[in-house]
Amino acid sequence: MKAKLVFAVFAMLLVLSCLSISGVSAHRLHVVHKISKIEIEAYFGGGTPCRDADVKVYDKEGNLYMDGVTDDEGKFSFPPKIGVDNYTVVIDAVHMPGHKAEAVINLSQEAAGASAGGMGTEMPLYMRAIAGFGYLIGLAGAALAYTGWKLKKKYENL
Amino acid sequence: MVHISDGVLSLPVLAAGWAITIALIAITLWWSKRKGSIVEEIPKLSVMTAAFFVASLIHIAIGPTSVHLILSGLVGVILGILAYPAIFIGLILQAFLFGHGGVTVLGVNTIDMGIPALVAYGIFKAGNKLIPSESLTSKAGLLGALTGGIAVALAVSLTAGMLYTLGKEYTWAIKALIIYHIPIIVIEAIIVGSVVAFLVKVKPELIGSLGGEKE
Repeated sequence: MKAKLVFAVFAMLLVLSCLSISGVSAHRLHVVHKISKIEIEAYFGGGTPCRDADVKVYDKEGNLYMDGVTDDEGKFSFPPKIGVDNYTVVIDAVHMPGHKAEAVINLSQEAAGASAGGMGTEMPLYMRAIAGFGYLIGLAGAALAYTGWKLKKKYENL
Repeated sequence: MVHISDGVLSLPVLAAGWAITIALIAITLWWSKRKGSIVEEIPKLSVMTAAFFVASLIHIAIGPTSVHLILSGLVGVILGILAYPAIFIGLILQAFLFGHGGVTVLGVNTIDMGIPALVAYGIFKAGNKLIPSESLTSKAGLLGALTGGIAVALAVSLTAGMLYTLGKEYTWAIKALIIYHIPIIVIEAIIVGSVVAFLVKVKPELIGSLGGEKE
């Protein structure tokens, strides 16, 4: 009878301890991390995405690290290599011969500048067109001022 | 697409481009100064440069790429030899404000678009003299359309020629460049033809290559 009781207590203790172990492990919070990709986007002035362009990614030493082509949205992603925080991306729009661009990605300074090169901060196209007209009017004005000054001198000498 | 970017062409080609462009700007400015005062031309010059500058924003999507208007034919017909410096200024603004082309390739790009303008001027002027016609408007319109188309074709050929100096790997890119510009040739022929016909009717003195001829 006593032996039976001792056994029952041990059995209960065993069950309880098992429960408590699984209970603790069920609430453990795991943190793992994966660095998946650096995404680049290529587009032409005015916002047309640069599709099917050749992309070449070089590391700091200038060795080719990865290559590929941009998708329909002009995007291309590549996984960063641990320990390498400086990449040079060269985009060659092979469908538009002569259109080539280069960008340097620096991961250690990226936090502040990640979106700096994005489309959001670019001056809108119509603004740049207006700026161009401004330059032209300025140039024409300067040319007219110069010729006017020359004419004035010519008549003063007469 | 006819704008070549920085870092594509080789150094000798870039240097030659600059040398030819600087020489042509000097010659065209000197020549037009000798012919008479440039003062009256300045407003016209800036308006045409502005038109050339924004024309490159009019994109037409063809296949995987988009091509844009060039308008060097129109600039040539209206400005005459002053088209060359005008296109140079237009290209500087396009390079800095729109990112079309680049700074080191300005010389080469000015050749690619400026020479066709000069050729367009030559053809238009000669054609107007040689072809006898009752209606100046329709003659100028047809000649305008012809020179507008020729100018684009020539600009594309010159750009293709510059890219050809890079070697065989660019061959198919050159083919793409030519094929995608066929619609632009047609569109610009229509634009230049109608603009010239309209100007001949309302303000013929605006067209430099008519040499003061009036209907």
